[in-house]
Amino acid sequence: MSKQKPDAGMKRRDFLKTATQGAAGMALVMIWGDLSLVSASTVTVATSGREGYAYDPTKHRFIYLIDVAKCIGCGSCVRACERENQVPRHFFRTWIERYQISRTGRTWIDSPDGARNGFEPTVLGADITKAFFVPKLCNHCTNTPCVQLCPVGASFISPDGVVLVDEKRCIGCSYCVQACPYGSRFIHPDTHTASKCTLCYHRVTKGLDTACVQNCPTEARKLGDVKVLGDEVAEIIATKEVHVLKPELHTEPNCYYSGLSREVR
Amino acid sequence: MEHTKHIWRAAILLIVVLTGVVAVRHFMVPSSFGEMGYYRGDALYEFMDKAPEHGSQAACAECHDDIAGEKAAGAHAQVQCEVCHGTLTSHIRDDDKFADMAIDRSWRLCAHCHRRLVARPEGMPQIDPAEHLELAPGEAIPEEACLDCHDTIHNP
Repeated sequence: MSKQKPDAGMKRRDFLKTATQGAAGMALVMIWGDLSLVSASTVTVATSGREGYAYDPTKHRFIYLIDVAKCIGCGSCVRACERENQVPRHFFRTWIERYQISRTGRTWIDSPDGARNGFEPTVLGADITKAFFVPKLCNHCTNTPCVQLCPVGASFISPDGVVLVDEKRCIGCSYCVQACPYGSRFIHPDTHTASKCTLCYHRVTKGLDTACVQNCPTEARKLGDVKVLGDEVAEIIATKEVHVLKPELHTEPNCYYSGLSREVR
Repeated sequence: MEHTKHIWRAAILLIVVLTGVVAVRHFMVPSSFGEMGYYRGDALYEFMDKAPEHGSQAACAECHDDIAGEKAAGAHAQVQCEVCHGTLTSHIRDDDKFADMAIDRSWRLCAHCHRRLVARPEGMPQIDPAEHLELAPGEAIPEEACLDCHDTIHNP
């Protein structure tokens, strides 16, 4: 007579099955129950800055004004920016373009090494009737082409309107470099990440001017804050004739120009 | 309904995969992401925490008040000291001087602003070096030509 084996196998299998199901169920409940994990994808629109910092980004909104008539093309701003931000040689966070226009409307535009060492006289073989300098930098657009197409969310707009690049997240794909219609961005040769004018964020958040604004000898560049009552630059933009670069692209730059002639690209 | 096992299998598989995604995101997405917007909140504050390189004329005047006074009375009053001499941090570290400021005596420094260019506004004092120094055609401009005559450059 064969002995009936006890139902040990079935019991063990049952036990394991139940145990695994129970463990999996518990894990699911724990993971999904912790709403902070699930809501990691929800992004808050900041209503105040981080605690412990005197500066609150939500209480400021920066704008920039360039007076073309005052610019003498000395390049002090380019050098100051280079020193302040360790900008690599032959790359520019800001630069100056010189426009020389003849009576017939023929235009010569140059920017020797970004005007880092100013300009030299040129012999153009034509009667130049109109000539001026146009300093340029990142326009910190409200409707940026560059932020929306960053594939990894490295490029962003701060609550105070400054377009910045998170170097730690940037993968150097240079989509944003191609997207910027003003040519403000470049890929840093050492970090291989996108780099551009940061509006000297480390300075403006301490109540200082940007390096370019401070070092301009003729006050051609000015920094303003629309959220500050009585701000001089905000007043000029609100009351006087100002222009922006490439308005047809609807990027809504926050960098305004007074005295911009039609030849400026 | 008969034969519902396949639906349960699909549902469980979906839940397991989604759980995996949520768990992985928990570890991969930085904790400050989403704090201020669709970006890593720490990035904004990393920018803020950097130290400025330039000081101001007031910072220079703290030690060099004689020069500052001289400068404030002249035509170069609005020109920052650091435009010609370099940043404050190339000279001062921890409130102490560690290196001399750069003093560039070359005519090229002056030429950045004062060389005659068609594009410069009329009100800006500008000269053509060859004409101003009455040089012969093809004669080179002496390196420290400007300071030969304009020696009180802080108050020209």
